[in-house]
Amino acid sequence: MAKLTVEIVTPEKRILSVQADEAIVPGGRGLFGVRPGHTPFLSLMEPGPLTLIEAGRQDTYFVAGGFVEVGNDKVLVLADGAEQVAGIDVESARQRMADAQKRLSALSADDARFEVEQATVRREAARINVAGMR
Amino acid sequence: MASLRDIRKRIRSVKNTRQITKAMKMVSAAKLRKAQDAILAARPYAQTLDQIISDLAARAADEGLAHPLLTPRPVRRVELVVLTSDRGLAGGFNSNITRRANRFLYENTALEKIQISTVGRKGNDFFRTRGLTIRKDFGGLYQRLSYRAAADVAEELVASYVNGEVDQVIVVFNEFISAINQKVTMMQLLPLQTFGPQVPAEAQGPALVDFKYEPDRQAVLDRLVPQAVNIKLYRALLESVASEHGARMSAMENATSNATDMINSYTLVYNRTRQAVITKELMEIVSGAEALK
Repeated sequence: MAKLTVEIVTPEKRILSVQADEAIVPGGRGLFGVRPGHTPFLSLMEPGPLTLIEAGRQDTYFVAGGFVEVGNDKVLVLADGAEQVAGIDVESARQRMADAQKRLSALSADDARFEVEQATVRREAARINVAGMR
Repeated sequence: MASLRDIRKRIRSVKNTRQITKAMKMVSAAKLRKAQDAILAARPYAQTLDQIISDLAARAADEGLAHPLLTPRPVRRVELVVLTSDRGLAGGFNSNITRRANRFLYENTALEKIQISTVGRKGNDFFRTRGLTIRKDFGGLYQRLSYRAAADVAEELVASYVNGEVDQVIVVFNEFISAINQKVTMMQLLPLQTFGPQVPAEAQGPALVDFKYEPDRQAVLDRLVPQAVNIKLYRALLESVASEHGARMSAMENATSNATDMINSYTLVYNRTRQAVITKELMEIVSGAEALK
């Protein structure tokens, strides 16, 4: 059976490039699965878990939002950040989330920073959540 | 004529200097390698992003897709972002940049306004001592150069573009060609021109896969474009850092070989002087002995 080639790249480096049977990606409208032969498409990605299934074995990564391009049995994940679940530092994620929440409560909703802080809270919440899945 | 002791002192001092320039060269070589790795590591992401945007843009016109950062408008106010290094002793690295930036200021006096912002202490010093106002100095960026730090700067530039404060943002930086070759480049950051020369649709061939977009093309474009701006600035910063180390490496290489030349010629003078002294002393002894006869 055909395999998917999955690549995760961040602006700073290529995180991984592997073969897999299936990839489950946190898309803009919820998780979606990709298997070989999937129709070419491009989606926004939310912060969340990215699961690769290879020979029945699951491997989960946390991705901090970005884009994903699917085409030609290739899944190209352009993530703002990515890390392996085992590597997540829950403590510092909690800390960052609390800090952002503190800053957020001091801002008004139309402040330019408001959305940025909100995104931080969402991202760190997702990170903590993903860490719980290991 | 300088005394033997003076010459010896000079030789010792030049040797010390050579020791320092040699060490600096080696440090720069190591840092250069790291900086080059960073450029390579950033490449896959940037290339893919570029390609996606080109795909989208190829269709953008027919489908009425637009993005403010892609739409040029009459240029009246320009922001010039000057990337220099924090440290000197890198040959022409910083002066090439500041000269180019200065020339830009003189050539474009017709513009309503040119704002300057700087990254790196050298550029900041240059404009400050000339009494020019610097809108913002993004100091200390090199100590914590990451994609995130570059994105913060880019987002600020985008904000002033969007609210109409400036109509164009240009970055002046040293493009990294090779360890001994850097090219001063003026890059237009905003409005964004990722698409390069417009390739006719039939020439693009199979690259134009008919993608489905989720949620829709406009939403994807809205997220992609600011990201592309961030990446563009991040890459310019990486190039500038690599160029800095390359420039310093070759400057220190030259300094080391100049020091060696200097030591050689001083050593020659030293030996000559030493022999002259011996000859003189011999003559004194011989003529003294002559006189006693």
